[in-house]
Amino acid sequence: MEDERYITFENYLTNKLSNEELKLFEEKIQSDVDFKYEFEIYKALNSSLASKFSNEEKEQELKKTLTSLGNKHLKKETKVISLFNYKKLMVAASIALLIGFFLFKNGDPVYSDFSNHHKLELVVRSENNQAISKAEAAFNSKNYNEALEHLNTLSQIYLNDTEILLYKGICLLELNNFFEAEAIFDKISTGNSALVNQAIWYKALSLLKQKKYLECKKVLETIPKSAEEFKQAKKLLRKL
Amino acid sequence: MNQKPHEDHIYIEALLKNDSRILSKIYEKYSYKIVAMVKKNNGNADDAQDIIQETLVTIYHQAIEKGFILTCPFDAYFYLLCKRKWLNELKKRGNKKVTILEDITSISEEQKQQVEETELFEQQHQLFESKFKELGIKCQELLKASFKIKSMEKVAEFLGVSYGYARKKKSQCMGQLTKLVKNSTEFQQLKEY
Repeated sequence: MEDERYITFENYLTNKLSNEELKLFEEKIQSDVDFKYEFEIYKALNSSLASKFSNEEKEQELKKTLTSLGNKHLKKETKVISLFNYKKLMVAASIALLIGFFLFKNGDPVYSDFSNHHKLELVVRSENNQAISKAEAAFNSKNYNEALEHLNTLSQIYLNDTEILLYKGICLLELNNFFEAEAIFDKISTGNSALVNQAIWYKALSLLKQKKYLECKKVLETIPKSAEEFKQAKKLLRKL
Repeated sequence: MNQKPHEDHIYIEALLKNDSRILSKIYEKYSYKIVAMVKKNNGNADDAQDIIQETLVTIYHQAIEKGFILTCPFDAYFYLLCKRKWLNELKKRGNKKVTILEDITSISEEQKQQVEETELFEQQHQLFESKFKELGIKCQELLKASFKIKSMEKVAEFLGVSYGYARKKKSQCMGQLTKLVKNSTEFQQLKEY
């Protein structure tokens, strides 16, 4: 009888077989493939269901924690791209186009043609601390190794400061640490700070510096018209 | 196989202990890459959040049932699991073209092995869950009670039946479930894997 088989499985798993029955069971496992096969499934099911049902409450608690962490870290309001500057944009775009005509068409574009970084000015922050002015001085005099060191210190104080993070990325890019730099740019560009487009632009520059022209082009194309970086992006795109 | 836990095993422990301080680090450090990957491939931030949470819950299941030990860095292991899960989701949604090309993570053999182990676990787990739901409601209740309460004497009392009957019923229901699993095509595929 089939039912007998499952009763035996159950008894085996709950240590309820007599010595004699145990011996028979072990013999059968060796000789009967189907018996062994079913026992393995039975055992796996037993372990799975036991774990599931005895930890149900714990699992619910964990899911609650994860949902709230997810909401905190990943939920964003939808960004609305405003069209109010449409006319200005048209003007800007046509200027960009004109500039485009004057740029020579042959030869691949070079990173250094486009890497004019904004000055680092963190003074807007109320505290006037040494690390800030040191970071600024180092960065603005293109001393990227030193700037990076100070920015690292600063990022430990200003934990979620996107600007500091972006400039760290720029330093890394200047120092040819592309992997780390791009990780930073990716992080910012998927966020919702004011620096999203700058980060995309720098990702493109990083790819340019590595002569990954095709990827660079793809990234540039994601910069929206409304962005400050659009003009530069367009200029670079024409050369690619 | 090397069973020495990697230092990132703290994340697995955090899942087991529901330690939100350490779990929040997973979101801080590793989630943006996944969000970027999902967004680049026909998804949005909500999709990414779901994928991340489901993946973490799977790892939790594997850890609590099988004592899963992470022997490689969490970063690439987690990213790859999420990526494959998202690929499956896209397939389910009827997206024909589902190859995610962009890939910054290089994967070691060991990481690949751990990813596959977790995936295999998940497939089995899902199969068992779906087959459980195919059982009659009486069987489902009896099994649920017997795994939650553990002592079959108390289960019998709870269900108002004799101890002998409860035990016999439990093994019958488990037998039915065993057969459902055994005869499913999914299980045949799992076996070949």
